[in-house]
Amino acid sequence: MTTPVIGMENVGIAFNAQVRIGAPRFWALEDVSLTLNRGERLGVIGRNGAGKSTLLRTLAGIIEPDRGRITRAPVTCQLLSLAVGFMLHLSGRDNAVLSGLLLGLRRREIEKRLPAIHEFSELGDFFEQPISTYSTGMLARLGFSVAMQVEPEVLLIDEVLSVGDADFAKKSGAALRARIHGGTTVVFVSHSDAQIREVCDRALWIEHGRSVMQGDVDDVLRAYHARAPQTAAA
Amino acid sequence: MRLHYLELILFSTYAELRAERARSYLGVLWWIIEPAMNMAVYYLVFAIVLKTSQPDYIPFLLIGLTLWQWFKSCVSHGGYAIWQSLPLVRQVKVPVQVFPSVQVLADTVKFVFILALLLLILWGYGYAPNWAYLALVPVLLVELVFAAAIAYLFAAALPFLPDLRFVIEQVLQVTMFMSGVVFALDVVPVAWRGVFMLNPIAVLIDAGRGILMHGLWPNWSALGVVALISLALYAFASGLIAHLTPRYVKLPA
Repeated sequence: MTTPVIGMENVGIAFNAQVRIGAPRFWALEDVSLTLNRGERLGVIGRNGAGKSTLLRTLAGIIEPDRGRITRAPVTCQLLSLAVGFMLHLSGRDNAVLSGLLLGLRRREIEKRLPAIHEFSELGDFFEQPISTYSTGMLARLGFSVAMQVEPEVLLIDEVLSVGDADFAKKSGAALRARIHGGTTVVFVSHSDAQIREVCDRALWIEHGRSVMQGDVDDVLRAYHARAPQTAAA
Repeated sequence: MRLHYLELILFSTYAELRAERARSYLGVLWWIIEPAMNMAVYYLVFAIVLKTSQPDYIPFLLIGLTLWQWFKSCVSHGGYAIWQSLPLVRQVKVPVQVFPSVQVLADTVKFVFILALLLLILWGYGYAPNWAYLALVPVLLVELVFAAAIAYLFAAALPFLPDLRFVIEQVLQVTMFMSGVVFALDVVPVAWRGVFMLNPIAVLIDAGRGILMHGLWPNWSALGVVALISLALYAFASGLIAHLTPRYVKLPA
């Protein structure tokens, strides 16, 4: 259980502040180190703007580091992304295919999963209608149902554990938790202590783009709140 | 892996065309009506008002405009593609070349409709199909590669220099007049003619006219040079996009 799948050593990421030649850059991540072991569920805590989302996109391989080093075992690693690439004038079915392709599925894999997507999203006949006719809840249901079809070995989650109205929130939450606890390696960013405790078996605290502490969930949460008593636990 | 991206490009092209159809009342009909109206304007100005006396002017003009508009829409749509897809580029890991490719392919599908219309008109005028039509295949393929290359180049740069948007249209306008779309290059002073024929689009349009109007085979060496230039440019532009990809995601939203 302790084979590292991803390791980060002193990773820094700089963004351009403006679209202008010679524009200053700012460091969204200054110096982050972490190890992620196979089957582990790592929680990431930190204040707004600490670099949590940037960290996830770096783990996903979307952003390359400007300094430091990332080592990764040959595993698929993906953000749980909802409604990626959706186009308003296309049907739910076409959007499911398009989104699935963007998320890295092959065409025949998606076609095979369309009945499951159709059923899980509870869209009924609306599945064949343009998503411009959907309510917000329907869109969320379709987005979630498609995203769940992608089964990366390392799943990255940015806050969202469930979507939709009360009923669907319960169903989507249960499906995602089943995935999380089904042996998938997970990195979970959250502001909620309760969710971190529920989902994760280890935690990482980052502050101003630097990794401050990594270890046991309770220890890290305690240290985090000791440093910042004004941040109420959710 | 590669096949997966091909599937993504093809399905996105279908999605793009489908969405475009759904966005307007007349849908697919616009693929024909819009270029036809554009041609009508040029016809009005150059054939009727200015009474261009060149023989066979109408087929000459229509062929030029058909081949030109295809190139132009590929470049202007493809050129915007990466810039417009930045939100997606930040979200998923896909080769960024996908985005301009989709636009170029979508415009190529529309071009096929217009080409069919053009052929009907030409046949109506008495320009019969001939064996040289076979050469349309390489001529059009070269134009496709060239259009994709130029679209890629603009697409690569636009995210860093959004101001290029204001330049692209002007550059295209000038290029159009330098491509012999509306007037024959024979009217250009001899001193300038060589410069004009360095323009790949001029060579391609010239070849297209020769085939469709006179049953002439293209000048293979000129076409070969254009093909080589196009392929080299395409490879360079594609490599440039790959090289710049890590930087696109770091641009501000």
